[in-house]
Amino acid sequence: MSAAIPTIAAAAKQIAAKELSPVELTKACLDRVHKLDDRLHAFVHLTEERALAEARAAEAAIMANGPKSPLHGIPIGLKDIVDTKGIPTTCQSKLLQDNIPDSDATCAEKLAAAGTVLMGKLTTHEFADGGPSFDLPQPPARNPWDTGHFTAGSSSGTGAGVAAGMILCGIGTDTGGSIRGPAAYCGIAGLKPTYGLVSRAGVAPAAFSLDHIGPMAWTAEDCAIMLQALAGHDPRDPASANRPVPDYRAALGSGIKGARIGVIHHFHETDHKVGEATQRGINGAVDTFRGLGAEIREVQLSPLQDWHACGSLISIVERAAAYEEWARTRLPDFGERMRTRLMLGAFVSGVDYLQAVRRRRELRDELKVAMADLDVVLTAVFPNEAPQIDALPKWDVFQQPSFMMPFNVAGCPAMSVCSGFGAGGLPVAIQIVGKPFREATVLRVADAFEKATPFRDRRPPAD
Amino acid sequence: MPVAINDDAFAYLLARAGLTLTDAEKAELKTVCDGIAAMAERVRKPRGRMAEPALIYGFAEEDMP
Repeated sequence: MSAAIPTIAAAAKQIAAKELSPVELTKACLDRVHKLDDRLHAFVHLTEERALAEARAAEAAIMANGPKSPLHGIPIGLKDIVDTKGIPTTCQSKLLQDNIPDSDATCAEKLAAAGTVLMGKLTTHEFADGGPSFDLPQPPARNPWDTGHFTAGSSSGTGAGVAAGMILCGIGTDTGGSIRGPAAYCGIAGLKPTYGLVSRAGVAPAAFSLDHIGPMAWTAEDCAIMLQALAGHDPRDPASANRPVPDYRAALGSGIKGARIGVIHHFHETDHKVGEATQRGINGAVDTFRGLGAEIREVQLSPLQDWHACGSLISIVERAAAYEEWARTRLPDFGERMRTRLMLGAFVSGVDYLQAVRRRRELRDELKVAMADLDVVLTAVFPNEAPQIDALPKWDVFQQPSFMMPFNVAGCPAMSVCSGFGAGGLPVAIQIVGKPFREATVLRVADAFEKATPFRDRRPPAD
Repeated sequence: MPVAINDDAFAYLLARAGLTLTDAEKAELKTVCDGIAAMAERVRKPRGRMAEPALIYGFAEEDMP
């Protein structure tokens, strides 16, 4: 990874000062795609001509009138479950190989309106679930830090693409960790916003009540820039929140002195004990936050296993309902992993589902009470560095509980930021969680952490 | 404790879901049914009949012409 690939914040500044050409920036990103993507498989569909045309148009507009937003002229990618008018949207599935939407998803529309340059569609796990299958139309994405290792998913192409500098940011979606997971394993920043803050309209569902759309980029500041363009009410999404959108960058850099940060020790020390590098990252983050003037407290919640069971049951049933018609008629056309997830739906009763939804209210209320006097809480994203891509358990949902699912269950904002590197040289991460619609606070804490630590200076050795 | 699923119940649930599986898929799936049952037990708490689910909603302004 070359240091020549800037952050969005840096590029926007240079573009506004007419020191950086969007066309040259786009060409630099395309060069990296051509050089790296036969090994990383971040893209399922590269829109090279369109990207160059959009970059030229952006450059002309900026030269005439200045940039219309910090994203004007910035090369991005969209996860391939996001509808794009006139561009194939396959959800990485044999079932949708010929699908060319006739309209854009709201998130795609908003990013285009902000002046971004669309580089193409990014690899996903099939329909944003199911893990890395090797029997899908295109191969799974590979981790730029070590191509033998998993990117996590399902926003796998976005994680790999941003980490390798092929794009400056991209859209991820998160039903049980699909933004935060790839952000963690690929060493970038990823924010799952509050449920309803970013429209789901035009994005293939995984589980309706757990699905979130959000930004993935190299830094928290870049996520803030992207979220500014994405957030806001959309009547096309029945879950869309109708409330004012704050300035997410306004508070960045103002420090976190006096911030109240809770640590959910039992999640990562007892319920699902993390490895040494992850624990070191969390301990280091606590020391960093304390050094920046934050107050650290202990937080106790229900066991991680309760949150995982609740979210998993809801996820299994909502996915089975969404894809029932194809599961009944075309089950063999799904990849192996997605097939297994769909089969599980047969074994959860209606009463089981509703008990999970009742449990969800209890858990959400519990977190609300626990966070009443806190600004954010902290825990792990994954227990360790990324595993080998060919050594993943097929039925992982029944193995160890996820650190990310609790915050899909609660619907509150949660962010993954890099907190160091393990013995294998791959990144590890911390998860910063906020109260509903307090993304600005989460971003401020994440930004303060990134600026106080050296982890944003290290890029994958993908060259 | 969750009750282990028997062959008839397993076949019935698959048929009811309309899923056609290979024998290998059935055999593998049967090994993880206990995991689903354990999750279902974990969310089942003594909460009484009045406890509301999370997905209860009110009408928003735009729902009221």
